[in-house]
Amino acid sequence: MKSKALKILKSIVSAFDVRRWEKKSKIIAVTLIALFAVATVFAAIKPSEQELMDKASPQIRQELIKDETRSRRHVVITYNDLYFINYASFTTSGVNSISEKYVGFAGGVYHADEGAWNITGQFINYTYRMLGCGQSMLYGAKLTIVLTTISIGLGLILSILLALGKISKNPLISLPCRAYIFFFRGTPLMIQIFCIYLAIPGIFEGFSWRSLFDSDDPEGVFKGAFVAAIIAFTLNSAAYCAEIVRAAVQSIDKGQYEAAKALGMTYGQTMRKIIIPQSARRMIPPVCNEFVMVLKDASLVFVIGLMDITTISKTISASGSYLVFIPAMVIYLIITAFFTYIFGKIEKKFSVYE
Amino acid sequence: MSMIRTEHVSKKFGHLEVLKDINLTVENGEVICIIGPSGAGKSTFLRSLNQLETITGGQIFIEDELFLHREHDKTVHSVDKARQKQLLLEMGMVFQHFNLFPHKTVMENLMLAPMTVKGMSKDEVEPLAAKLLSDVGLSDKADQYPSKLSGGQKQRVAIARALAMQPKIMLFDEPTSALDPELVGEVLNVMRRLAEEGMTMLCVTHEMGFAREVADRVVFMADGIIMEDSSPEEIFNNPQNARTKQFLQSIL
Ligand SMILES: Nc1ncnc2c1ncn2[C@@H]1O[C@H](COP(=O)(O)OP(=O)(O)OP(=O)(O)O)[C@@H](O)[C@H]1O
Ligand SMILES: [Mg+2]
Repeated sequence: MKSKALKILKSIVSAFDVRRWEKKSKIIAVTLIALFAVATVFAAIKPSEQELMDKASPQIRQELIKDETRSRRHVVITYNDLYFINYASFTTSGVNSISEKYVGFAGGVYHADEGAWNITGQFINYTYRMLGCGQSMLYGAKLTIVLTTISIGLGLILSILLALGKISKNPLISLPCRAYIFFFRGTPLMIQIFCIYLAIPGIFEGFSWRSLFDSDDPEGVFKGAFVAAIIAFTLNSAAYCAEIVRAAVQSIDKGQYEAAKALGMTYGQTMRKIIIPQSARRMIPPVCNEFVMVLKDASLVFVIGLMDITTISKTISASGSYLVFIPAMVIYLIITAFFTYIFGKIEKKFSVYE
Repeated sequence: MSMIRTEHVSKKFGHLEVLKDINLTVENGEVICIIGPSGAGKSTFLRSLNQLETITGGQIFIEDELFLHREHDKTVHSVDKARQKQLLLEMGMVFQHFNLFPHKTVMENLMLAPMTVKGMSKDEVEPLAAKLLSDVGLSDKADQYPSKLSGGQKQRVAIARALAMQPKIMLFDEPTSALDPELVGEVLNVMRRLAEEGMTMLCVTHEMGFAREVADRVVFMADGIIMEDSSPEEIFNNPQNARTKQFLQSIL
């Protein structure tokens, strides 16, 4: 019974393993992807205004003609998402608008009620949207990756000092380190971001995050906020990494300290040459874990006006395309897979001696 | 000149008195084996000599120089820091569980301390390390990581590593206790050779054959006290102390 369930589970999992696919399935998959790509390119070619006018229904044309006679101000054809085509005429008496569903494809215009085009139209519509969103989401992905990498990198360096400080027998060193870790692990990251972004300019008069950059730079506000975010994330992940480092350092056999001491090495030398290099290997899996957590926590930067993948996809979804969450998740999965792979490589490199 | 002399050395862990009034003199070139039941304080004594443990009371002399004098867990006298470091470097230690640095190759294990502690250059240390490795018969393992070695090989590397600091005294804390029986011999051979070369050695061991053959003196320790201290023949053939007799009977 149990083994049967396992078998089924295995077969499901192996269905996602491209290497095991039969040739036929591979061909089908490649063809589908190719079709999708071609369709997307065609969908991106907008029909001309004349084309749209020509296709318009008699009703709309009549409206347009009527406009000629009336005190017409504008005729606006909005071409929304390749799907809705609005013919709107603004007159002195108000807005008169008729909207009809058309599909623009490869420069042509097709009536969306014509059976198959309805479905195709929706499909193309979403594809195009996703591509468009994809671009802004890639911008978000860049922010997410840069923020996470820098703050984990700096946080790790800081965390080694914090961890060694916490282990220290001197209370003047260990107490502040303990307090730091306690504070940053015990308060929400979002509040920490707020505090750093708002409180520092409040404390230091005349300082604003923006002022770090060229005052002519219109992006200065965002760059400034980004620096504040990096500081907040670094300080926060340092606290979490410090616990990882401490656990790793304390897991090293005390015989290593004794051997080093018996050879005349000082505490500092022992740490640098013996303990930290050995702990490094043990730290990699939990640090990878922390990395993935921060990757997702990066969405908290929205509180200071920055946009990462999550925030951008939420914004896009507000206009109705809930499907946008799919590419958003895919991007997250790709980033996570990539960095997990990198961490795995590093771990392997560190494990040569095992 | 004695290499090491201890006078009234005592050590307490909390209320547990592990060493009580240990008086021992190790002459230059002498090989002394320390035997005794588990918990006698043998390891603690060796570790007190090279400051892995801090004694509670008594005096330790190294080369007739008062190295440390403590009473009631307070330091009465101690040589200055620089000299302390210098004197400690004259003692090498070999542990029961080898304690090799797993992330360094065999060669790097040997070269690390001379380079970081003595500030020797790589070119200076390399020939010395290579010579020591060939002495313990492990030249071909120079670039291996310790995890690839057998227990006996690990312990030989550990001995070579300690020797790389060119100590005058070697402390061995049960160097063969963690080894499979068939690997004990290779380590004892290295130690025997070292003794023949005139190294001053202080060995805690359960290898009575080795003690009988190599040691100049055998010290029997129990309950934190040196119960008997004489030549191997005396101890093994004609033990004076009742505890010694009992111990030897129990292991033979
Ligand atoms: N760091 C420590 N803290 C508290 N007690 C200790 C410590 N180290 C050793 N002891 C105790 O001191 C006593 C003597 O220990 P020691 O290791 O010196 O004995 P030993 O003669 O080497 O025995 P064995 O043959 O088992 O190695 C033991 O009872 C042990 O439990
Ligand atoms: Mg012991």
